[in-house]
Amino acid sequence: MATKDYSKNNKKRKQATENISTEVPTEYANLEMLSDEEALGDDAISDDGHVDKFPGIDIKSDSEEEYSEVADDEVEDDSDEEDNEDGEDDSNFDSDDSELHVFPKPKTITSKITGQQKRVYPEIDPHYDSDSSTEDAPNRVGDIPMHWYDDLPHVGYNIDGKKILRPARGDELDKFLQTVEDPSAWTSAFDKNAQMDKPLTTEELDIIRRLYVNEVPDANYDPYEPMTEWFTGKGKEEIMPLSAAPEPKRRWIPSKWEKQKVMKIVRAIRQGHIISSKPKTTSKYSFYSIWSEPSTSHPPPLPAPKPRLPTNSESYNPPEEYLPSEAERKEWEAQDPEDRERDYLPQKYSSLRLVPAYDRFIKERFNRQLDLYLAPRVQRVKLNIDPDTLIPKLPSPNSLKPFPNYKSLVFRHIKGRVRCLSISPDGAWAVSGDEDGFVSLWEIMVGREVKRWKFEGKIGSVEWCPRSDVNYFIVGIEDAIHFLIPPNIPNSVLSLTQALLAPATLPPLPAVPSPVKWITSPSHTSIDSPILTVHLPPSSGLPNQIAWHRRGDYFATVSTNGTQGGVWIHQVTKRHSQAPFKKVKGIIQLVLFHPLQPHFFVATQQYVRIYNLSEQKILKTLVPGIKWISSMDIHPSGDHLIVGGYDRKLCWFDLDLSDKPYKVLRYHTRAIRSLHFHPTYPLFASSSDDGSIQIFHSRVFNDLMTDPLIVPLKILRGHDIREGLGVLQVRWCIRQPWLVSGGADGKATVWCS
Amino acid sequence: MGRLKQKGKAGAAKAYVTRSSAVKKLQCSLADFRRLCILKGIFPREPRSRKRANKGSSAPTSFYYAKDIAYLAHEPVLQRLRDHKAFAKKLSRALGRGEWSSAKSLEDNKPIYRLDHIIKERYPTFIDAVRDIDDALSMIFLFASLPSSSRLPLEIIQNCSRLSAEWQLYVMEKRCLRKIFLSIKGVYYQAEVMDQTVTWLIPYQFTQYIPADVDVRVMLTFLELYQTLLGFVFFKLYTDIGLVYPPPLDTEKDDGGAGIGAFSLQDANNRITAFGPRKTNTVDVDGRKVSGKDVRQTIKSIDVSSVAHDADIDMANIEEAANEVEEEFVVHPSTSDIQTSASLPTFKSLATLPTSLSTDLFSPFSFYLSRETPRVIFEFIVRSFGGRIGWPASSGSGSPFDEADDSITHVIIDRPIIERPNETLEERQRRLKRKFVQPQWIVDCINAGKILLEDMYAQGHSLPPHLSPFGEYEGAYDPSAGFTKIFPAQESSESEQDVDGHDAEGGSTGLEDVPNIAMDDPVALRAAELAAEAAGVDYGAFEEKLNKSQRKLKKPVVNSFDDGEKDMNKMMMSNRQKKLYEKMKYSQGKRENEVQSSGIFAKTAHIFLL
Repeated sequence: MATKDYSKNNKKRKQATENISTEVPTEYANLEMLSDEEALGDDAISDDGHVDKFPGIDIKSDSEEEYSEVADDEVEDDSDEEDNEDGEDDSNFDSDDSELHVFPKPKTITSKITGQQKRVYPEIDPHYDSDSSTEDAPNRVGDIPMHWYDDLPHVGYNIDGKKILRPARGDELDKFLQTVEDPSAWTSAFDKNAQMDKPLTTEELDIIRRLYVNEVPDANYDPYEPMTEWFTGKGKEEIMPLSAAPEPKRRWIPSKWEKQKVMKIVRAIRQGHIISSKPKTTSKYSFYSIWSEPSTSHPPPLPAPKPRLPTNSESYNPPEEYLPSEAERKEWEAQDPEDRERDYLPQKYSSLRLVPAYDRFIKERFNRQLDLYLAPRVQRVKLNIDPDTLIPKLPSPNSLKPFPNYKSLVFRHIKGRVRCLSISPDGAWAVSGDEDGFVSLWEIMVGREVKRWKFEGKIGSVEWCPRSDVNYFIVGIEDAIHFLIPPNIPNSVLSLTQALLAPATLPPLPAVPSPVKWITSPSHTSIDSPILTVHLPPSSGLPNQIAWHRRGDYFATVSTNGTQGGVWIHQVTKRHSQAPFKKVKGIIQLVLFHPLQPHFFVATQQYVRIYNLSEQKILKTLVPGIKWISSMDIHPSGDHLIVGGYDRKLCWFDLDLSDKPYKVLRYHTRAIRSLHFHPTYPLFASSSDDGSIQIFHSRVFNDLMTDPLIVPLKILRGHDIREGLGVLQVRWCIRQPWLVSGGADGKATVWCS
Repeated sequence: MGRLKQKGKAGAAKAYVTRSSAVKKLQCSLADFRRLCILKGIFPREPRSRKRANKGSSAPTSFYYAKDIAYLAHEPVLQRLRDHKAFAKKLSRALGRGEWSSAKSLEDNKPIYRLDHIIKERYPTFIDAVRDIDDALSMIFLFASLPSSSRLPLEIIQNCSRLSAEWQLYVMEKRCLRKIFLSIKGVYYQAEVMDQTVTWLIPYQFTQYIPADVDVRVMLTFLELYQTLLGFVFFKLYTDIGLVYPPPLDTEKDDGGAGIGAFSLQDANNRITAFGPRKTNTVDVDGRKVSGKDVRQTIKSIDVSSVAHDADIDMANIEEAANEVEEEFVVHPSTSDIQTSASLPTFKSLATLPTSLSTDLFSPFSFYLSRETPRVIFEFIVRSFGGRIGWPASSGSGSPFDEADDSITHVIIDRPIIERPNETLEERQRRLKRKFVQPQWIVDCINAGKILLEDMYAQGHSLPPHLSPFGEYEGAYDPSAGFTKIFPAQESSESEQDVDGHDAEGGSTGLEDVPNIAMDDPVALRAAELAAEAAGVDYGAFEEKLNKSQRKLKKPVVNSFDDGEKDMNKMMMSNRQKKLYEKMKYSQGKRENEVQSSGIFAKTAHIFLL
């Protein structure tokens, strides 16, 4: 507030200075007289004068009119009272005098003479100390450092040479109390000379204020005083030249060099080298026929895929059936936005004016743009083909008849699974063995059981001797192989068979005693008991497979757990058995004789090895890629082998070619149990635990260029699945395209064409 | 021995670069890189093996072709972006120091990039560009409807609305609009330009607000590209048909809210043709002055013919229906009604019109828009198909005629019927002379390619469903086929039942079809049961019927030998083929499943039965 007042007053002061500019010299003189001591003395005397009132600001006196009035008065008064009141007459150096009340207050009275209002100032009492200029400071020590008196009880001497005693000074608390109690304490300062606080005079306070507001401290200094013209102005012009030198030509002849320079620029501008300011591009977009000139040879980038076109459900008025049910709506809302099949819920509005704004519009546009520049694009070849064309075109099964396609008859075992069966070489009889130890001989044409044998334990395998001049079959049970002659065979055949199996003179025993014993039973004439029994070494287990050589003299057996892989090759005429392998890698699953050559196929769990028996060496190892081989059969031509596994795979090997399968088929849903090539027809069958039998047409060609033709013909279903087991063995009839199958459900079934 | 192969020197490791390394190579900020990618149309690629492309690391990154990035390095726009960065630094320094004059001169020489070369590069031929303007159109139509803000300067919005008006003018001029679909998201339009189908989407006229999770910078960069692209495309389109581009804008009309009417198409030889009057000329060209009366008569004749023949035919599959009707007519000439036969040639000619002629679909008509119908949509549509259209002043200035005009044949109105108790005679007559249709009629007519009956779309009527003209994928549920498709071969099954010896229930009409649907869908089954109950059939009979039809349906599956053979042949497929086959079958099945599982059949059955 105070500073604001001050600045306001400054302006006023300027006006005032203008008014009284003529009195400047007087003011100077006045200032000159204001020495420090004088001021001090002055203040000391007028202690209880009007100065005390300085801090109180009279608000009423702030108004301009009053001020001007006062100023006028002052101007008037100045002329009168200048002489006698020069100490206090500082109306023109301080505009605040109206507030300061340095003068005693005037009284306004009516003049008796004029009758006008007039101001009357109180009489000045010219007593001794009324004029500060005549007053001296009491301490007369002069301008010396006052700390010399610090230790003394006095502070100097007065004019009379008497000691001036140090005034009493209280402690800090007193000082503080004094500042609080004395209202003039904040305008007083410590006087070293008197060693006490003295109030500051009005002039001193004014100097402080000026310093505070960055003004010239001297109130009488006028920074804007008019210039005194000494050399210029009317009648003071210089008329004589300073030098007598003649004026040079360049003062009036235009410069050639300047002209050349300008012309250079002009030429550059004309030729367009210098452009005054670049023409601003009016718009960022200016269009022209951009496609008129030929394009580059670069192929165009692939166009971005277009978004899907809207479907019926997006309509504002879709058919009723597109609207989601409450459950569908809830499901849609519960899904994450990324998982939703479509990004909207179908809605129906009865008229167009009711359709609201779509709130995700911008978001969807934005997502589309994100797709355009952030999503990796992969070009996929879309196969626009009918998937059915991928299915190979094969000859129709109807053109590949005959093959078995219906169930002709069923022969039932009492109970127990039919593990094995075999067909007689003439194709009229079948013999089947089950897990209860029963071996049944029955007629294929009518399914009538002719004879039943009972053995201890399971029947592991049954196989008919392929020779046509003799007629017998062998049955493999635990640790033994029995030779049986079927009943009702012609006498000549019977006698020949008996002569073969129970000759009068036994062939000589081998030099090295074999663990396999060939024993002719004493009652060999009876057909109820086996005519000959081969006792395998003890604990060799059940012979799972019996494989005949095509001549019918040798046969091989594979037992579940025997030494040397459990494989024995037996010779009937010599009554001799030998183990072909000393040491076998892996567990032997199956063996087979080659139909034409002295080759021997041995299937372990994962490999099929082919040995040449005459040269006694391994020929080949086939890798079917099956985890566990379950079955194997060789084509009658001897060039092709099929291998089936428990892992449902069937591999067709062309033996002339690679040791990898020519074809791998996987069509059964459960493990393959048995495979068999038809001896005469181009057929083979596979049976599986899924209860089905699959018939294939398999034609092989003599020339090596043509691949064998495999055509699936028929799936025969009719066996039940018992305890996870389905059809355990299939065998073809030799002369007809008929199939006999034995299943875990105790049925032996004949399938006819 | 050859040189040892070093890792990362060939193959995928060299062909792909990750995004961060691309940014590093280009020495620009990620935002600038994104901008460049948008402008240049570069997108990430999916390498065959991410691990190999990323030098053994399987961290999730996006990959770009190294060649793409190498091309980007020479891009002039990249240089401009760098210049701009330097400029921004200089400017901020000048502003910070208070050097206003240098700041101004800097601002004057601000680096600007142009996208002409990019357009040329991305679209070497005009056809390429036209093929790709779908997104661009949708974007400018969207931005033309946005409010301006600090992030979205007014110039951009004005430019977008100008471009959108130019496009609409061109489409109207060339009459190349083909299909329209009123969806819940907005209006889809499909036009055929230079033998390319262009589809774009315009939101309904509401103020849109940019949501917080949308990056406006990205959208604006796309918009920049699209504006340039569309400018060049429109320039070519306009100049190819001999028009001046850009079309002059009448600011006075524009301020009056005339919309596209504010632009006037100008011939290259300086003949200015305002858009509205030219349309009336084409109507006149027919040889005689077409008055409203003529038009009404024409409509009447069309109406009569169609009323007589396809009263019972579903509106949606009009084409088929028309053909059927025609055949029927040839076999049995109608004898009852002479008027119909007289008007038949008109109908026939209408039905056999080639699609190209349907661009003049509305040329005989004059429409008047009611206040509540969106003028922007229907002005564009009607004019694209040759119709005249007027609107009240509240929808904007520039209407060629007012409501009292006699030539008005149709009023497009979208409000319920109200009673008019204090109607003058004149007003009443005028009202009766006009047809009051709901807006969907216009769109359905266009999609059907012919004028449909107004009755179903009359004011206050509940509308028939509005179907997508773009069709569905193959094998999808077809609502227009209706009930007949869902329950096929009804008649034959009935006759078979009779042969079986069962006495056919003569009374329960409509129930025969029930069991056929009910097979596998519990919802449908329930609906069918309800229907049977309503028809008064006892539950035993219903169940018997159900079982029978099920047996019948199952039988052919077992008997079909062909299928079994095919299944067997499948065994001989190689593993790879088998997988492919399964995949294709799976996707086929999925699509069918979608239709089935969406319960659409059940719903249909329900709706039809109730």
